[in-house]
Amino acid sequence: MANLIFQLFKGLNFSVRIFFLTLLFSLPFGFVVAKGRMSKIAPVRWITDLYIQIMRGTPLILQLLFFYFAPFYIFHASYDRFFAVILAYVLNYSAYFAEIYRSGLQSMDKGQYEASQVLGFTKAYTFFHVILPQVFKKILPSVGNEVVTLVKDTSLASTLGIAELFRVAQTSSSRVFSTTPIFVAGVFYFIMNYLVAKFFDVVERKLDYYE
Amino acid sequence: MNDIMINAKNIMKSFGSTEVLKDISFTLEKGHVLSIIGPSGSGKSTLLRILTQLETADAGSLELVGKPLFTNVDGKAVYENIAQRRELNLKTGLVFQNFNLFPHFSVLRNITEAQRAVLKRDKDEAEAKAMDLLKKMNLADKAKSYPCELSGGQKQRVSIARALAMDPEILFFDEPTSALDPELTLEVLKVIRGLAEEKMTMVVVTHEMNFAKGSSDEALFMDGGVIVEKGNPTELFDNPKEERLRRFLNTFNA
Ligand SMILES: Nc1ncnc2c1ncn2[C@@H]1O[C@H](COP(=O)(O)OP(=O)(O)OP(=O)(O)O)[C@@H](O)[C@H]1O
Ligand SMILES: [Mg+2]
Repeated sequence: MANLIFQLFKGLNFSVRIFFLTLLFSLPFGFVVAKGRMSKIAPVRWITDLYIQIMRGTPLILQLLFFYFAPFYIFHASYDRFFAVILAYVLNYSAYFAEIYRSGLQSMDKGQYEASQVLGFTKAYTFFHVILPQVFKKILPSVGNEVVTLVKDTSLASTLGIAELFRVAQTSSSRVFSTTPIFVAGVFYFIMNYLVAKFFDVVERKLDYYE
Repeated sequence: MNDIMINAKNIMKSFGSTEVLKDISFTLEKGHVLSIIGPSGSGKSTLLRILTQLETADAGSLELVGKPLFTNVDGKAVYENIAQRRELNLKTGLVFQNFNLFPHFSVLRNITEAQRAVLKRDKDEAEAKAMDLLKKMNLADKAKSYPCELSGGQKQRVSIARALAMDPEILFFDEPTSALDPELTLEVLKVIRGLAEEKMTMVVVTHEMNFAKGSSDEALFMDGGVIVEKGNPTELFDNPKEERLRRFLNTFNA
């Protein structure tokens, strides 16, 4: 049992790394994608839109396989699996975050920009001090949902043989002919998402002071 | 010393193929209050937005506080450089119909933010100024509140304080009471009347005919993108020359 827990923690370590690395890159990159999606230049808009549609319209598991095997078949180049995994997750999650950011930005009242302009704020000041804090509050619940999904989606990395939590649980399970490892892994996922939900809850409550 | 605060000549503006302002010319003296009245869609807001640089004019010329914002060159409005535009932007303030307060800032911060970020005043100075204005608006006890906790009339008074904190030389109002209940309308109009007594130069787009008639030095009636009639408010209301103005005023008396 102790050994099992130890193995699962090692798997958990991979899951957590996928989780944080994905967020680290996709949260900011999603913003770049959102900007592209709202670009004044039509081709930029089309390309980012196509990218978003593909990322949201095809299964993540398929994208994982694609990002790992395509370079291999096309260029006969192989590269680190873990890198392929992170690349796939980042590109996938950026598309989802981009759409959340875009809807948040577009729901901002035009009057906030106009009041800022009349008062003499620069564009950058307006964005960082007036628009961003309000958009942040508005999109927080949707971002929270996406992050909860990401916790569960890390298990898909097992398709590329990454020894993350789910894969470890699955292999131990078949080795010891028991569902216990699967069950314990489930508890791990549950706890992670409990923490994620709590985190968003706290932040949302901190921002409750205004409407 | 130039006492003409606004000198607008032949201003034109179209959105696509619709001509919204056709040929707007008027002047306003320092310390005067000008009311602009007119039916919906006549171009009143568009005019204010050009004067406050939220829109750009297509043609014509405009001087604010004696300095050009744009001049007519070959039938086109050519704007001054960014430094001049910014200088004039700081000399004008605008109060919106729907307040546009910053919901994530306290009342106090709504009034101090631009003082600090734009005018580079220090915290104490900005707050002292804000508190003075809040007292004047009878809202000193609301400094720590958030906009969502205020009534419409209170919000509008905060937004007036926010504009005044920047020490504008001309203050524009676009239907400042149209989003308010009648009782709240009165408290806001009282504040604007108080500013008029202090000789603040103001342009007020309004549907409050009593205010336009009783509290302004000049009035201007717009319809279809042109100034149909302008002059002394008492004259304009009691003795309208133009048929269109007469019909417009009748809709209020009915
Ligand atoms: N950004 C814009 N794009 C296209 N048309 C516009 C735009 N802004 C205003 N218009 C049009 O210009 C005309 C004048 O609008 P404006 O808002 O200046 O009128 P108004 O006199 O302020 O009316 P109201 O009393 O309803 O506020 C309207 O027909 C309006 O539809
Ligand atoms: Mg209007």
